[in-house]
Amino acid sequence: MTSLRRYLQPLVSPPVFDFWASRFSPAASWDRVLAKVVARRVESRDAVTLELRANRHFKGLRPGQHVNVTAEVGGARLTRSYSPSLLSADGRRLSITVRQVDGGKLSTQLCQNAQVGDVVELGAAFGDMTWTDTAPGSRLLLAAGSGITPMISLIRSAVTTGTALDVDLVYWARRRDELCFVDELRDLATRMPGLRCHFVLTRETELRDGEHAGRPNQELLLRLVPDLAHRQVFACGPDGFVETVRELLATRVAQFHSESFTPRTVLAAATGTVRVELTRSRRTFEIPAGMPLLAALESQGLRPAYGCRMGLCNTCACGKSAGSTQNVVDGSTDAEPTSALRICVNRAASDLILDL
Amino acid sequence: MACATKSLSPATLEAFGAELDALRARTVAKIGSEDARYIRRVVKVQRYFEVAGRVLLFASIFPPAWLLGTLLLGLAKILDNMEIGHNVMHGQYDWMRDPHLNGKTYEWDIAGTGDNWRKTHNFKHHTYTNVRGMDDDIGYGLLRLFPEQRWRPFYLAQPLVAIIFALAFEWGVAIQDLELGKYFAGRKSKAQMRAEWQPVARKMRRQIVKDYVIFPLLAGPFFLPVLAGNFVANIIRNLWTYTVIFCGHFTADVHLFPKSVVDNESRGHWYWRQILGSSNLRGGKLFHVMTGNLSHQIEHHLFPDIPAWRYEAIAREVREICGRYGIPYNTGRMSVQFSQVVWRILRHSLPSRPARLPSVTPLAA
Ligand SMILES: Cc1cc2nc3c(=O)[nH]c(=O)nc-3n(C[C@H](O)[C@H](O)[C@H](O)COP(=O)(O)OP(=O)(O)OC[C@H]3O[C@@H](n4cnc5c(N)ncnc54)[C@H](O)[C@@H]3O)c2cc1C
Repeated sequence: MTSLRRYLQPLVSPPVFDFWASRFSPAASWDRVLAKVVARRVESRDAVTLELRANRHFKGLRPGQHVNVTAEVGGARLTRSYSPSLLSADGRRLSITVRQVDGGKLSTQLCQNAQVGDVVELGAAFGDMTWTDTAPGSRLLLAAGSGITPMISLIRSAVTTGTALDVDLVYWARRRDELCFVDELRDLATRMPGLRCHFVLTRETELRDGEHAGRPNQELLLRLVPDLAHRQVFACGPDGFVETVRELLATRVAQFHSESFTPRTVLAAATGTVRVELTRSRRTFEIPAGMPLLAALESQGLRPAYGCRMGLCNTCACGKSAGSTQNVVDGSTDAEPTSALRICVNRAASDLILDL
Repeated sequence: MACATKSLSPATLEAFGAELDALRARTVAKIGSEDARYIRRVVKVQRYFEVAGRVLLFASIFPPAWLLGTLLLGLAKILDNMEIGHNVMHGQYDWMRDPHLNGKTYEWDIAGTGDNWRKTHNFKHHTYTNVRGMDDDIGYGLLRLFPEQRWRPFYLAQPLVAIIFALAFEWGVAIQDLELGKYFAGRKSKAQMRAEWQPVARKMRRQIVKDYVIFPLLAGPFFLPVLAGNFVANIIRNLWTYTVIFCGHFTADVHLFPKSVVDNESRGHWYWRQILGSSNLRGGKLFHVMTGNLSHQIEHHLFPDIPAWRYEAIAREVREICGRYGIPYNTGRMSVQFSQVVWRILRHSLPSRPARLPSVTPLAA
């Protein structure tokens, strides 16, 4: 197959190949990692699990890692990170659990509109909240909201590989019906002596067995996990949650790993300076946020390609992998990664990473 | 071309520009799934046409199959080059973030490279539309279409040259950016020429190998009919694109501008120049698709990055705005517009002089 590919390489145009291949198998592609949605189930009041089967280009991932998932919303492709659980040994079957964020573009699409048979694109796995060491000591997993996803992935993989566990999971949600994987976690906890699950609900008046109340605080954590100081801690959830537990624990525990599912922010101010990282030339600059990027980079002595300087000819367009920009002609803002940012008419609205 | 154009004050030009900017903003706000569906549908039709054309050519022992196959392949190439390639390369669908519809990397089924096109067309031609000495599309360095271009005896052969150029249009476009004239005049080094020639040659080779070696060979005993069909399909595409493009900028009343217009040009003035430098073609929906909506050359020059199928809707408003500002809006049937182009080719093959001093500025004295 590989040698056939090499032989065909000069003759094949990937877009044409992908077009015809997808007539026969929706997730087939010459070189892109595509995955088909093969099952969908409601996981909680506001979360949906999608089971995916990736094509053979997917290189797999380690439990606790994340992948970028790309799907189309209103004709445009959007990319967000999700933390899958593996469902097969070859790594090609996986599931993502998506919590619908209020006003969130991709999470709403995936929760409300994604159907069995749809195709999404996957990026390469990333993240280092994985369990690597051989003599682990006991672990403490702290999750809030969708931060449960890498935790369930880690726990499930330990169960399938038969690895002994010594783990406490503390899982925060506002209400009981927002919790995901409750039955599975409770069931595992009864079967596996080394797994203890604590559910913490911040807005529920009546608590059931194994449930607790309160936001993350020292007292609560010590009550649930008396030997806190000896723990290897993994924390995951919204930015605010991760910051809180970091302040509470980072210096008081054996090890502290965290990942925040940070919401991207759009900086509205046209003043001040921003940091622009140029990946191809491997340089970083501080530039004024109010100035169109082309002019700002030129004032730093750079000479990016440009043409009309009016946002028409697309000559200056470059890729932007992170950050927000604002079009100075029509005022529109864009916080999505793009392959074609016209730097002559866009200013930085946050720190940026550009493909220049 | 000098022609009585109503003068506009800077303030009027600004108001005019603001109206077009508002029209642009209204249109951009509508861009979304409808546009994505449209371009994907065109891509789908193009792919099916191409395969159907090539398959029929393989069956060309039966003459009607050859004819139909050639025609379908020609249509597929036209769709690929115009409604898809040309428009995608303008970045009209970049907002979709689909790597296969990426304006910066799209490559088309034609001899010229996408990269050269992005430079000569997207940048030079669109920014300096009909500006003498800056827009290489004015006669493509080969034809004299305006009296302002200096006459040389070579142009006596222009009627013949124009026909050859039309038949070989894709090759002309392919070497346009090499600026051979500069090289032969000694204003471009051999080393630079060689560097620029390499990617051009690679693309040409790929096209030749595909259409004239691989597909004919795959047809086995029908090598020759397939080769002939591919050749004719390429010619059909060449003649059609040539006709559409020439109708866009070389009709009787389009204006030519001197270099000085682009200095500190305002947005309103830029819009004004795009309108005076372009001309539209009237026709039905299918006709517009087959021209890649370049039948709306005026709208395309105003808003080159808006999905082209929207030009038809925009055109009504542009025309109305132009009417209010007394700006000529040049449109007509293809037969009429193209005969004006032919007349230019014939007329300016002989010495000619600008009728009056060109009215190069819209500004009231
Ligand atoms: C490494 C990593 C792994 C992730 N794994 C998962 C996962 O497994 N499951 C999952 O559901 N999500 C996960 N996320 C979050 C996910 O990537 C998206 O941010 C989330 O789905 C919202 O995207 P959206 O397009 O719907 O919202 P957007 O349209 O991008 O945002 C809409 C609004 O919601 C806010 N917002 C964005 N993200 C969040 C959030 N996480 N919490 C609260 N408000 C938010 C934004 O600030 C904005 O105001 C992960 C994020 C990261 C960085």
